[in-house]
Amino acid sequence: MKLILKYIRRHMGIFLISTFFLTMEAMADLMQPTFMSMIVDKGIQNADIAQILFLGVIMLGIAILGAMCAIMRNLFASRVSQTIGKELRRDMYHNVQQLSMENIDRLRPESIITRITNDVAQIQEFINGIMRIMVKAPIICVGAILLILIQTPRQAPVMAGILFIVSLLVVGNMKIGYPRFGVVQKRLDLLNGVAREFLSSVRVVKAFHAEEEEMNKFEGVSVELAHANTAALRTMAVFSPFINLTVNFGIVLLLWISGSGQSAEIGRLMASVNYMTQVLFAVNMISNTLNTAVRAAASSARIKEVLEEKPAQHVPQMPLMPEIKGDIYLEQVSFAYAGSGKETLRNIDIHVCPGETVGIIGSTGSGKSTLVNLIPRFYDAVRGTIWIDGCDVTQIDTKHLRNAIAVVPQKALLFSGTIRENLRWGRAEASDDELIKAAETACADEFIKQSEKGYETMLGQGGVNLSGGQKQRLSIARALVRRPRILILDDCTSALDARTEADVLSGLRSMAENITVLLVSQRISAVMRADRILCMDNGSVVGYGRHDELMESCETYRAIYHSQIGPEGGERHG
Amino acid sequence: MAEKSGGMPPVNLNGISRPGRGGVFVKPKNMKGTLRRLWRLTEGQRKGLGWILLLSAFASGASILSPYVTGKAVTAISGDDAVSWVLLCLTGLYLGDWMVKFLQAFFMALIGQRVIHHIRKTLFSHIKTLPLSFFDNHRHGELMSRLTNDVDNISTTISNSLTLLLTYGFTVVGILFMMLYLSPFLTVVSLFGVGMIFILTKTVTKYTRRLFSRQQKSLGALNGQVEESVSGLSIVKAFCREEEMEREFEEKNEELCKISIKALICSGYLMPLMNVINNLLYVAISVLSGVLFVNGRITDIGLVTSFLLYVRQFTRPFVEIANIYNNFQTAVAGAERVFEILDESPEPPDRQGAVRLNHPRGDIELRHVEFGYTPENPVLKDISIKILAGTQAAIVGATGSGKTTIINLLTRFYDISAGNILLDGRDLRDYRMEDLRKAFGVVLQDTALFAISVRDNICYGHPEATIEQIKKAAQTSGADSFIERLPEGYDTILEHGGMELSQGERQLLTIARAVLANAPILILDEATSSVDTVTEQKIRRAMLQICANRTSVIIAHRLSTIRDSDLIILLENGTIAEQGTHEELMAYNGHYAQMYKTQTECL
Repeated sequence: MKLILKYIRRHMGIFLISTFFLTMEAMADLMQPTFMSMIVDKGIQNADIAQILFLGVIMLGIAILGAMCAIMRNLFASRVSQTIGKELRRDMYHNVQQLSMENIDRLRPESIITRITNDVAQIQEFINGIMRIMVKAPIICVGAILLILIQTPRQAPVMAGILFIVSLLVVGNMKIGYPRFGVVQKRLDLLNGVAREFLSSVRVVKAFHAEEEEMNKFEGVSVELAHANTAALRTMAVFSPFINLTVNFGIVLLLWISGSGQSAEIGRLMASVNYMTQVLFAVNMISNTLNTAVRAAASSARIKEVLEEKPAQHVPQMPLMPEIKGDIYLEQVSFAYAGSGKETLRNIDIHVCPGETVGIIGSTGSGKSTLVNLIPRFYDAVRGTIWIDGCDVTQIDTKHLRNAIAVVPQKALLFSGTIRENLRWGRAEASDDELIKAAETACADEFIKQSEKGYETMLGQGGVNLSGGQKQRLSIARALVRRPRILILDDCTSALDARTEADVLSGLRSMAENITVLLVSQRISAVMRADRILCMDNGSVVGYGRHDELMESCETYRAIYHSQIGPEGGERHG
Repeated sequence: MAEKSGGMPPVNLNGISRPGRGGVFVKPKNMKGTLRRLWRLTEGQRKGLGWILLLSAFASGASILSPYVTGKAVTAISGDDAVSWVLLCLTGLYLGDWMVKFLQAFFMALIGQRVIHHIRKTLFSHIKTLPLSFFDNHRHGELMSRLTNDVDNISTTISNSLTLLLTYGFTVVGILFMMLYLSPFLTVVSLFGVGMIFILTKTVTKYTRRLFSRQQKSLGALNGQVEESVSGLSIVKAFCREEEMEREFEEKNEELCKISIKALICSGYLMPLMNVINNLLYVAISVLSGVLFVNGRITDIGLVTSFLLYVRQFTRPFVEIANIYNNFQTAVAGAERVFEILDESPEPPDRQGAVRLNHPRGDIELRHVEFGYTPENPVLKDISIKILAGTQAAIVGATGSGKTTIINLLTRFYDISAGNILLDGRDLRDYRMEDLRKAFGVVLQDTALFAISVRDNICYGHPEATIEQIKKAAQTSGADSFIERLPEGYDTILEHGGMELSQGERQLLTIARAVLANAPILILDEATSSVDTVTEQKIRRAMLQICANRTSVIIAHRLSTIRDSDLIILLENGTIAEQGTHEELMAYNGHYAQMYKTQTECL
């Protein structure tokens, strides 16, 4: 809740203005029964039409004034809630853009997305509600009670009694209801989890004919959710009618006290009854927000986590901007992912010369991808230093560094927009010829041209309308457009068939003459021709050298080679 | 206008789509039919629902009668009559009201949740029978919200609106009756006021609807941008596009904010204006009753009091009814979308006289098989393959040539359009689906694991397996070494559905799972592509062992791994280009031989 207050404070001016109008609105609401009673007492009972008209016009005037205030209040309140929503979204988005991959891994992207979209919407609704609940309801409550006391001072003890009971009930409702709605929220998350898991593994479920097991799982959490919901709703079912009843008894008492005394003025009595109804309304408003309050509290906690997440990487005080030629030196580098005790990389010590192509091979989980992710500072080494052209990578201006590097990730990620726009991600000012040339090298030109709109073809979110292989080729082309000094290819040809892969790789070789290339692959045929090959095993370097050298000296490399090419190699089938 | 918005997808606000509430108004296509179907889904709870509906009729009792009794009390007080008797009535009325409201809410909390659970269960048990094509063609996020939040909201909204509609309906009719009883003339005047409110509501909602649907669109655009840029953040960072992304976001954010403010302001006009009309009506009635009082047509001040109380209460239900009806319609339209899923035809049921399949030998034959995911896009054309029992067949070919599709057809994830697929000489469709699927042990491209223990993951689909069998399967697949290194060994819970394991480890687990299933026919769909070649060798050796008396079908990119297969099938563009053993195909010197040479050319 502190978070919400912080954002409201930024718009204190408008918030106060709208509170002012809200107060006026409440006043107007409060005055109405008084005038109504006057109309009855002074007008109707005395059969004084002129008086009725006179009071009626005043009452209408007040109503119109109240309406105007309400409209103004809404004008300002909407502005506050929507602007706060906008700012929350913007601040979260901005912070997320600053975070390093380590933070993102921890918060998980899907979770960040729902926080920016759904949770903020929840808060907005809550802020919209607060004005009414925190400001209007108390004003109405206090005002109505005061007016009852003014109109019929004898009611004071009754009012005090009712007020006491009602507040007890409201507090009781909160105390019991709040945790119960909390349970509902948790079970709902559980249900979502089961549904998500089923949908993402539906092939396996079907293949193993385990539909019934999944059904039981789902049914189990669904029943639990239903129970939790019933328990929570029942709190409201008990308390809410009780609050009603208390206030209604108040009305009876009011009438009774008036009746037992001298014949009171009817209008005043009516007004008092009316005020009681207003009190009831206000109290109900407060206790009905329980659900929203629970959700808003959960949402604001989730939002806060994103806002308060500090980038895991430190930003250099005096960032260096060296000319990047592509000289990479990893000095005794070790790395472990946050939260995992295991070191993914251990004492890596290698040097890559500018313009050199280094193939990186090794078993799954040997740390190949992790290694190349350190170069553009997606992650920072835990120990040791990475030198790029003689500068510690953590001291180089990150933007300057990344501008000189092009990455083709394992999973080809494209963005909604045309193919041309996607390729221009590489370099905004690239000419059309450059785009086409890059696409040709990546063997993407052909299928682009085949599609109806060519380079203007619109890609859906994440490039959904392309096949895996097409996406990979576009992702390679995008990297080539960048004209990088360092090119990182992270096992990016897995969805290509052998023929296309060979074409793409030979295209890359011809283009990459002065570029430092780090080529990660599972396939020995892809790395064999590299200037040097880095062979990794379990986070360590087990071999670094030319193909023939490694065949001599590195057992792991030999094993990989033989597993793919066969021990007798081409002799039998060559 | 309303027709146009009929196609709008539900938008998820707050993780919960809120039909009607500050949102899109959608008209149901077939109100009656949908309601009838919903009614059918309430089976078992109808008695409870009946009580609740009955109670909601009674719930209007207090609002109908209390002004009259209050008026009586007023008369009594002003005339010093027997006040206590009237007050007793009033007390009784309030007690009754309390009872009714409590019972209604209390039952609703139970019955409503039971109905929701039942609908959710029905929906899920239908979804699980749907063919794979359904899951391939629908966005999972959308299905999820249907299953969880939508069902909840739709049924809550419908049941709430229904009870409220009933209560308010009775209230309006009851009050109208009471008002007519008190003074027909004043009643007619009040109806004018109601008319004015009606016109006002219509005018305002006409504008707000348009604005809210624009708001939804704008929200959708913003959400899309966030989804894309956050899930692709590493690329955004790699290409230094943070600023561009933020600018793009800012634009959409600004637009959403503007349109939302507009929509809220516009819809905020309604209530205050209605209040003015209400007051106008009150004054008018006061003046008129004053005139009547002067003329001596009304003598009872209590009557005026009652009538004025009625007038205050009369207009509100009208507006509420309009509002609730809107919500109701939107919820029914939401229910229609749920029913759309229920209307999807499930996987075809087993044929009449479908036979059991016990321990098939494993002869597989494809005869002139044709298939396309859509009719206009054939993926497989005239495929004829014969795989003998106990042999190993390998399917190779470029991406998109139709390799995975053949697997989809064998396991009947999809059914063929023309031709036959025979298992042990009988058409696949002649077997019971359950037996057929159990006859295949599959290791699929996607390594889907569940958020349960490693042990339960391995014996997935075979809960009766013993720990020895599980450990054996893990050993055979080479997964045992890493499992033993896990903190809790076989009992480790994969809390993130296996995401905490490396790709290779996940793959090994899925292989262990297939090993345990001990199916007569094995299918490996590129399962080895992301395991390193050393590990792959291990797996291959294990597989060879369990393949010994089994039919197996393997899809692999690396030709070296399938060189020893009994049959190699080269697919090109959905047709068979070449088939035979490795030696035969090398001798043929066609595309296969070329591919093989490319992969090993460096020698």
